[in-house]
Amino acid sequence: MAQKLFHIFRNTPLGRETLLQSIYFCRQMGVLPTVYIPESTKFLMYFENDVVQVDLDPSYLNDPEIAVTHVEQLLNEAQIKPELFTPKNYTASTLPDIPTSFEFMCCPRSISDLSSKIGLGYIGPRVRRIIQAARFPVLITSPVYKPWQSIAVFFGGSANAVNALRLGIRIAKVTGMRLAIYTQVGKNNPSKYQAIVQDKGLGKLLESVLSQWNFFEKGRFEDNLYEVPHDALVVLGAYGHGIIRDIVFGSMMEKIQSTISNNLLIAGPKYTVIG
Amino acid sequence: MTRLLEKLKYPGRWSLFRSDDRLLLMIFAIIVGICSGLAALFLNRSLETMLEWLHHYRVYWWAIFLPAAGAALSSLFLEKIVNEGAGHGVPEVIYAVSRYGGLLRLRSGFSRLISSCLTIGSGGSAGPEAPVVMSGAAIGSNIAQAFSLNDRQRVALVGCGAAGAIAAIFNAPISGMVFAIEVILGEWSTMNIIPIAIAAVAGTEVSRLLKGNQIVFAHRDFNIHFHDILACVGLAIFCAAASILLTRALRSMHHVSKGVAVPLWVRAAIGGSMVGAIGYFLPYVLGEGYHAIRTAIEGGFSGGLMLVAVIALVKILATALTLGWGGSGGIFAPCLVIGAFVGLSFHRFLATVWSSVPWVNEGCFALLGMAGLISGILQAPLTGIFLVIEITGGYEVILPLIVVSAISTTLCHYLEPASFYLKDLVKRGQLLRPGTDARVLTDLSIQELLETDCICVHPNMRLADFIHIVKSSRRNYFPVEDQQSRQFVGMIHLDDIRPYLFDPAMHHAVLTGQLMNTHVKTVSLHDDLAEVLQKMDDGHIFSMPVVSDNRFQGMISKATLLDQYRKELMVQTDRY
Amino acid sequence: MKLPMQTVAGALALPVSTIERWIRQGRIPIQRSGADVAFSHAALEKWAATHNLSFSLGGDQADDHIPETLGSLVSAMSRGKVYHRVAGEDAATALRSAVDCIDFLSEDIQDELFEKMMERERLASTGIGNGIAIPHTRDPLPRPPETPVITTCFLEKPVNFNAIDDQPVFVLFLLISPTVKHHLHLLSRLSYCIRDRAFVAFLSAHPDAVALYSRIAEFEKQLDDI
Repeated sequence: MAQKLFHIFRNTPLGRETLLQSIYFCRQMGVLPTVYIPESTKFLMYFENDVVQVDLDPSYLNDPEIAVTHVEQLLNEAQIKPELFTPKNYTASTLPDIPTSFEFMCCPRSISDLSSKIGLGYIGPRVRRIIQAARFPVLITSPVYKPWQSIAVFFGGSANAVNALRLGIRIAKVTGMRLAIYTQVGKNNPSKYQAIVQDKGLGKLLESVLSQWNFFEKGRFEDNLYEVPHDALVVLGAYGHGIIRDIVFGSMMEKIQSTISNNLLIAGPKYTVIG
Repeated sequence: MTRLLEKLKYPGRWSLFRSDDRLLLMIFAIIVGICSGLAALFLNRSLETMLEWLHHYRVYWWAIFLPAAGAALSSLFLEKIVNEGAGHGVPEVIYAVSRYGGLLRLRSGFSRLISSCLTIGSGGSAGPEAPVVMSGAAIGSNIAQAFSLNDRQRVALVGCGAAGAIAAIFNAPISGMVFAIEVILGEWSTMNIIPIAIAAVAGTEVSRLLKGNQIVFAHRDFNIHFHDILACVGLAIFCAAASILLTRALRSMHHVSKGVAVPLWVRAAIGGSMVGAIGYFLPYVLGEGYHAIRTAIEGGFSGGLMLVAVIALVKILATALTLGWGGSGGIFAPCLVIGAFVGLSFHRFLATVWSSVPWVNEGCFALLGMAGLISGILQAPLTGIFLVIEITGGYEVILPLIVVSAISTTLCHYLEPASFYLKDLVKRGQLLRPGTDARVLTDLSIQELLETDCICVHPNMRLADFIHIVKSSRRNYFPVEDQQSRQFVGMIHLDDIRPYLFDPAMHHAVLTGQLMNTHVKTVSLHDDLAEVLQKMDDGHIFSMPVVSDNRFQGMISKATLLDQYRKELMVQTDRY
Repeated sequence: MKLPMQTVAGALALPVSTIERWIRQGRIPIQRSGADVAFSHAALEKWAATHNLSFSLGGDQADDHIPETLGSLVSAMSRGKVYHRVAGEDAATALRSAVDCIDFLSEDIQDELFEKMMERERLASTGIGNGIAIPHTRDPLPRPPETPVITTCFLEKPVNFNAIDDQPVFVLFLLISPTVKHHLHLLSRLSYCIRDRAFVAFLSAHPDAVALYSRIAEFEKQLDDI
């Protein structure tokens, strides 16, 4: 069964860039995109233990007929058979249910009904909820179409980071690209991180794709991020802890995404490795 | 500290609750019952405050625009602020319960409370019960989500929320319990009944603590004779007629309002102002109408037969205008009002025609009418009977009550097969009660039924080679895939090769590509099982290939389906 | 005892995705520790019993191994040995002396075997043409050997066996098997060999045991390759 990437199409030039990013990701990964052209400004995603209502701004509804031709045009150019998603079930007449059985999903940084917030450089609460609840990783694209040539994984040693590393290795294997790991060394020394990887039985796998492992031993994490190549797909894990902890300790995900504008692939706490 | 929080977050993993979650559910039922009880009381209080506050302005002519303003505000609130659709929300709860294990949004926990408060408080003719049911259910669901409970436990808590809300608003624990089980869950199992009963009691206690233990519609004693019971048959027929009229009026009002091409809030305002205009002449129809019911039951209503009948009809119209044009609220309270006035008019009618017969007090008929309408609209006779007994404290009317409820439900069922809460779901084919065929088929996915022990062949194979594969296979079906692209091109059934099987000359001359059937009906992994079965029945076939993205995934057959279907049914209909 | 998901799915004969859904829906008793799910054997058994579900750990695998133990022709033949110049005037006497050759059977079993083989001959001759007969019993013996046995007897002189082509028979393959399944397996292998004309000619020269085994082994290799 071919893996699927779920993409919500916005019929604007910005939406075109996002779809191009998704198409690039799909072509690299051998994944098929499923494109949803929204029919109303809201939809529901039912996860295992959460239901997320996603509200879109009205620009998603621009000329649905033209949107179909736009999508088909872009997909045909990439020689992918266009597959449009039509919702089967409705919670209320204007509230379709979107299944959550995809392998990937592409999101803008923020999905909201207030367009002004888009591109403000923080991850919106809806996208956060989706990341927290989803079994699939979420692709957060940079605003402009940017093909990536290598993979950068942020690895902090936690269980989620291991999941993200697994995901990174899988992408590196499929695409044949090199993978670099970035670790901000805290109190531990670098060998500790390597030991974690060995513990999880990832040593062999990692060796075959790893180009380098960068340890940031000093300096602020945000400043060190300049080291990450501009054309890398950044893979990271998101953590399951709540808002309070994020405010107190600061969220790694937030720091990374507000500093670098690469394409991000985020694996949430419920992410399960497929295949 | 974090460890403790982590532990608190997953109470299902505590060793105390591990072996049996009944205790866990009972504790959560109390919490949910209290919360939904509070939500119900909040709405009740704010409605009272608002009605009292606006009461002074009713005398002015511009008061007819008050319901318009309220309805418009409530529509704006739902549409722009919380982004939810109009409607009373009960179908949404039932839908979530049957399809997604009772997952409801947090915003549903308060949105309907505020919007219905605006609609009803300003004078719109609607009930606060459906909104509190929605809130209670959403509160239950979100508590379950916060503690990572599983679907079955979450559904039980959704039921608890609904039960607590109804119990609190009417001070009627049994009705709350029966409503939650009969209407919301549709499943009578001890697993659910106990926590729901607890939640109903908790909700009632909250209401008694804060509002005092009062019977909502107290009445005098009734002295019921046999001829009164006979007359009930007639009353039931009138109640059924009124129920049908209300249902039809609501539906046609929806169609009319849909044709008006204005923003939703303007639509609500139009409906509201019409209600306001009616209310200027007949103030009885405004609001949720508890006051009118009280007067009717106490027998203090002075109007004649014509006036009472007109009020019943106008109340139907006002309710249809409020709800059909986009106001927010439920149907419960209007039903009670209409029922009371139907009962009253029937009593007046009897008293005029057979004036010599000593009929029972008119309050009794008002009460019976209420039960008749609730039963007819909800088609939930138990809810109707218990609700009327509890809110009136009148146990002595039980016999005529059952007669009216039963006849009214039956008559309505002939004309409107699905009840008010369920008809949308039935129309969409989404009423999936536990243990029913539709539910089992929805729960099972094609992925789970896939038989993957088929051996794929390619179209350029000689028959001789194919026969060797046949020898080692247990199946009669052989999918054919293209050698390079691995795309599905057709199927070969054993029957297709039978004519050539014993003809060795053909073994080397024929290729599988020439034998295969390229026009096979296939299904996709994401198809609904009900549709797949329909396809099988139409074609008189027992198994079909599953093909997704042009790749063969496996076979699906009725034999495996029966096996899985049985297991699913056995697990789903547990009664322990 | 704790069980992994895979085992539980196998024991209930259900796909893993169904078990995952049941866990989500809270229909199956589980013990969670962190993100992992564990099943307790006792609790599951109790649960399966209340729902009338069949639950058996690893009971199903046993049946699948039988085909591998059906054995080869060569091994059956070497157990049964090859005898030359077996005497006999007609079918019955030839069969009697052939049965007497089978040294690992006691005398009364030999008698029983002979009786049953004759019974089978009366139903229809086992002479399958080209001077070859494969005498056997219709059903396995009451106390059969653990492994199948083929005893090859080249007759002193060809006898009339009522064969399908009416040719006199010069060689008997006595087939004794523990089950019908074994019997059919070996019979199909043997008949594959006999269909070959060169092999029939080879047999008519009354080859010795070693030559016969190596020839049969060649055929079996062909069979296994396909």
